[in-house]
Amino acid sequence: MRSVRPYVTGAIALAVAAVIFVMPFVFVALQAVKSKSEASRLDFELPEHWLFWDNLIAVFKARDYQLALAYFNSTLITVASVTILILLSAMVGYVMQRRKTVWNRVASIALFMGLMMPPAVVPTIGLLQEIGLFKTMTGMILIQVAYNLSFSTLLYRSFISTIPRDLDEAALIDGAKPRQIFFRVILPLLKPVTVTNIVVQSIAIFNDFTNPLYYLPGKENVTVQLTLYNFQSMYTSQYNLLFMNILLVTIPPLIVFIFFNRQIVAGMTAGAVKG
Amino acid sequence: MAELTLKQVRKSFGALEVIKGIDLEVASGEFVVFVGPSGCGKSTLLRIIAGLEESTAGTLTIGGKDVTYAEPSERGIAMVFQSYALYPHMTVAENIGFGLSLARRPKAEIAAKVAATAETLQLTQLLERKPKALSGGQRQRVAIGRAIIRDPKVFLFDEPLSNLDASLRAQMRLEIADLHARLKSTMIYVTHDQVEAMTMADKIVVLNGGAVEQIGSPMELYRTPATPFVAGFIGSPKMNLYGGETARRMNCTTYGIRPEHIRLSEGAGQWQGRIRHLERLGADAILYLDVPELGEMVVRAEGETPFAPGMTVWANPVEGAEHRF
Repeated sequence: MRSVRPYVTGAIALAVAAVIFVMPFVFVALQAVKSKSEASRLDFELPEHWLFWDNLIAVFKARDYQLALAYFNSTLITVASVTILILLSAMVGYVMQRRKTVWNRVASIALFMGLMMPPAVVPTIGLLQEIGLFKTMTGMILIQVAYNLSFSTLLYRSFISTIPRDLDEAALIDGAKPRQIFFRVILPLLKPVTVTNIVVQSIAIFNDFTNPLYYLPGKENVTVQLTLYNFQSMYTSQYNLLFMNILLVTIPPLIVFIFFNRQIVAGMTAGAVKG
Repeated sequence: MAELTLKQVRKSFGALEVIKGIDLEVASGEFVVFVGPSGCGKSTLLRIIAGLEESTAGTLTIGGKDVTYAEPSERGIAMVFQSYALYPHMTVAENIGFGLSLARRPKAEIAAKVAATAETLQLTQLLERKPKALSGGQRQRVAIGRAIIRDPKVFLFDEPLSNLDASLRAQMRLEIADLHARLKSTMIYVTHDQVEAMTMADKIVVLNGGAVEQIGSPMELYRTPATPFVAGFIGSPKMNLYGGETARRMNCTTYGIRPEHIRLSEGAGQWQGRIRHLERLGADAILYLDVPELGEMVVRAEGETPFAPGMTVWANPVEGAEHRF
């Protein structure tokens, strides 16, 4: 009965994967529909009363509809910073890959510094205060751009190296200015890596907890991840509402991931652009 | 009237000089082929003419205008790349019309010109396809279409046929020659394939090590090669070249005789040798002889040659077809 073995091992692998990936989600979902006292036990027992709507409304109403504001803020930060990131890093990656000068080495080192050096929080806050961007959306957006620029640029640079230089030259002969070569020939060819970049960066930025915590304090500046603090305090924790909040915060990135799953993989593995 | 003139054009990459002072005049309507082994600078020279590479010294005029420092798009040239360099995200029509759309011509004018160009190249059926969906020969035609629509003074071809298979290459060779006859425009064509050079060129420029070895019509180069290099490069199979003691006995430093200018006989002759190998090509046959006083000798004979490997034969050069350098 040799042919049974692959199925058995497959089933075991699936079961393990399910425990690792699905169980936490089920746990979160389960706590989110319980009452406060049931949820505080933090177990897998089914709730006595399914309080999905009650909890959902409670979470939204908390602190004068703070969650709605948080969604707006997070979305604004994510969209703005990802847009700037994509444009900047594609352009920087293009120039770094195509133009060979003595400055290339300096730029490369700067790029790797950006990847390796941990950002220092206190000096950054000092700097932001100095230029009047502390506690502002603009400041937060610029911070997200700065923190993610290196990785994004590296991704673009390596992808651009697979686009034949002949295309640039053909466009040049056709009369394209450098700006037109980039926007009309190169940028459209970067679509796979751009999709990957958008997904990876927007999930990371949307889910970011620490950076908004440091650089964007203030009630009016709250982002989705920070709303989790609403139901947690030193003495009492409303686990049912906390988990409902987690559930709501997890949904947007999840949707992005489900829709772009295929493109992400395609972007990661995309090779040469064949004419 | 010279359409294109190069005067003492030089190009160095750091300390390495790859183009060593080239003078060249190309007449209007001429089909000029740059030919040479890889690394001889022929592609670099073409890129200098195109403006993709800046020359270190010298001047370049096209149509009587000094364009040494002009932008590629202002030189009145169009180029067909070895890789075709079609824009993968655009349709055939967009590829051909890209230059015009950059120049912000009206849409109707672009469409009309694209349609006319496609008509010339039999691409009308393919205008809405992406380059991915085309065969090698079709891609080649699109690349040529992109060049034609610019209505250039000079067409530049950078080894355009080397990515095609042998039968398609022969067909495209004919199409390009036809195109030249129809458009009557000046064309410069780079290749390492001497067959392409011989069959297409009005004028061949043989390059070697960054310098011009000889310029002439195909038959001039075949009949009276100026140097042993040209002699060895033009003609297939290659000319038999002998240096050293053998050549000295013939009062020259290099003695050359083409395989097709040697007659074999069983009786008597100048050199005696043993047939090592025989290739029958149908119409003719190539024989490889071991000649004790010369070394290897290649001979071209008619297809039904009576000789066979292992035989000992006499070889005689045809009167007047010998080359002494």
